[in-house]
Amino acid sequence: MTRTWKKSTGWLGAVALAMVIAACGGGTPEVEPAPEPEPEVVDTSAEDAERAAREAEARRLREEEEARRRAEAERRRVMSILAERVHFDFDKSDIRADAEEVLQRKVTVLREYPGVALRIEGHCDERGSNEYNLALGQRRAEAVRRYLASYGVQTSRFSTISYGEERPLVNAQNEDAWGQNRRAQFDVTNPGRLGAGN
Amino acid sequence: MKRMSSIADRLSWPGGGGGNARRWHAVARVVSLALFILALAPVFAWAQEPERDSIPTDVRVGILYQPVFRPGIVMPAIAVEAEFQELADSVRAIVLRDLDYSDRLQVMRVGEDVPLGGPVNYGLWDQLGAVWLLLGGIEGTPEAPVLRLSLHDVVYSLLQDVRAFELPPLGHADLRHAIHLAADEVVDWATTSTGIAATKIAYVAEGPGGSEIYVVDSDGFRAQRLSNDGSIALSPAWSPSGDRLAYMSYQNGDPAIYELSLNPGGSTLLVDLPGLDLTPAYSPDGSRLAFGATVDGRTEIFTYNLIDGCCPERMTYARYANSLSPTFSPDGSRIAFNSDRLGQLHIFVQPLPDGSAELLTPYIYDRSVHNAGPDWSPTADRITFHGWVAGVPQVFTVAPSGRGLRQLTQTGRNEDPSWAPDGRHIVFASTRNGYTGLWILDVESGRIRRLVRGLGTRLPDWSGRIDSASHLTNEAAAGSNNIN
Repeated sequence: MTRTWKKSTGWLGAVALAMVIAACGGGTPEVEPAPEPEPEVVDTSAEDAERAAREAEARRLREEEEARRRAEAERRRVMSILAERVHFDFDKSDIRADAEEVLQRKVTVLREYPGVALRIEGHCDERGSNEYNLALGQRRAEAVRRYLASYGVQTSRFSTISYGEERPLVNAQNEDAWGQNRRAQFDVTNPGRLGAGN
Repeated sequence: MKRMSSIADRLSWPGGGGGNARRWHAVARVVSLALFILALAPVFAWAQEPERDSIPTDVRVGILYQPVFRPGIVMPAIAVEAEFQELADSVRAIVLRDLDYSDRLQVMRVGEDVPLGGPVNYGLWDQLGAVWLLLGGIEGTPEAPVLRLSLHDVVYSLLQDVRAFELPPLGHADLRHAIHLAADEVVDWATTSTGIAATKIAYVAEGPGGSEIYVVDSDGFRAQRLSNDGSIALSPAWSPSGDRLAYMSYQNGDPAIYELSLNPGGSTLLVDLPGLDLTPAYSPDGSRLAFGATVDGRTEIFTYNLIDGCCPERMTYARYANSLSPTFSPDGSRIAFNSDRLGQLHIFVQPLPDGSAELLTPYIYDRSVHNAGPDWSPTADRITFHGWVAGVPQVFTVAPSGRGLRQLTQTGRNEDPSWAPDGRHIVFASTRNGYTGLWILDVESGRIRRLVRGLGTRLPDWSGRIDSASHLTNEAAAGSNNIN
């Protein structure tokens, strides 16, 4: 009897373990499988244990996959916030109100992920002189860096570069294209824990 | 019919050398009707003389060019042995084009049938309307030909000057340059002014990774790519010796100033301060490099000691503003540069090393002013730049005192002007006929010609006189061919 009990405890243990794993994963609302004691079947217990382990493994993989998917979704959310461009007025490097909203989202994310480092690229439309636009692009990148730093994000997490008018986003000669080309864009140079697996 | 009638005779030219009567002759390509009109109104003929892409068609208020007298020069075909025929033809074609592009002489296509044997028949050439007669001959061997040029003053019936020029053999990479040097000599004999044939223009054009540095001869031949960075290369600037170019490149990610050597070629790092380094310019003695670099996120001008290879020294102090695109005065004592310190983009002049900057271009209240890309004339008296007219860049010149502002262009976008060593021609980037390209303008006559054409051609810089052809030796030429 003790033996049987022991066996069933072992079996129950496996189930419990699986449930714990499932619980830890906090995943699917799986109804706990009712323990059906099969006292006399001694021979199948090894098989059952194996099956249970297999199921547990599968569940664990599912959970892992789920976690990975969630992390991926989070990563994608963070990246898209980090990648959001900000735009400028003609011949200006002031942060506009719409740009401020974008940058505020970045501040939140950058605080949440302290390992993330960014390269800020300043760009211009094609109208000004080639050389002056290089300087203007640098100021735009710098203005963005200052803004982010003013919310307590360390300056050392940013590097800046200007491309002047050399890398337009839209190749056209109209107000809309120019407006899109006058921008700061962001490149994640160090993903911090976003990049380190999960 | 080619001969101008005597109505044009007996015109004396102020400053034309002794007030002697000189004869005007129309070029052969002018049609006979035009000739008739010319005969009636010779003065009118000089004003309308430029036929190609000339500015006079779009002259309006504010853009004024003087009708310029160009003494006629004639160069008959060079009579040579058969083995030199091809060389002789190239020499003549190149020299005549160079003389024409000098904009100081009127190349006349007359006297093709004049027998050349015996002593020079000054009376005949005088009657044909020439002021100068250039005779050529080729001696030596095909491996080491010698070009003999003699310039005759037809009006005074005397030999002005003569010289033998050693040429590389036909097909050699340096041949064109050697002929350009000879042509400049002729311009000097005839006009005592600097020729511009033996010069090159460096510029930026499209490359595989963005843009690269190219050079081309002043006559538009031999365009070749010099840099091979595969990234963004901008703002080439000639060293005074004409054998090197400083430029800005992103080749290592961080923009820095590099130097390209024309012989043997190859790019080496010159200066890399933190942040952006841009718009290099050599001092006229070649000892310093002025350039823009990032300070607290803005751009300020520095100089760098090229002899010791050290010691960046800051020249401008304008908080919250950019200063860039420096250009030295010919004596090296001042720089002109570009700054937005007044809220508009303007050109300033500042004595070195620590003078205060003075505004050169007029401040116009409440207007979108955008003056940029200054270049100080090698002959000291003018600074050229581009400035916006109704939002479109146009080329201007102004005296270093700020006086005598003059607009030179008005068709299409015209940007980033650079002076030729003669202080009379300007090369600039333009979209005047729908394409991007580089154009050369004679600021006195308004005559204009296209130098090169191509996607993204811009930021030209005109070299000084390049004395030795050997700067572009076979190795260098071969090297750049490989790049291409």
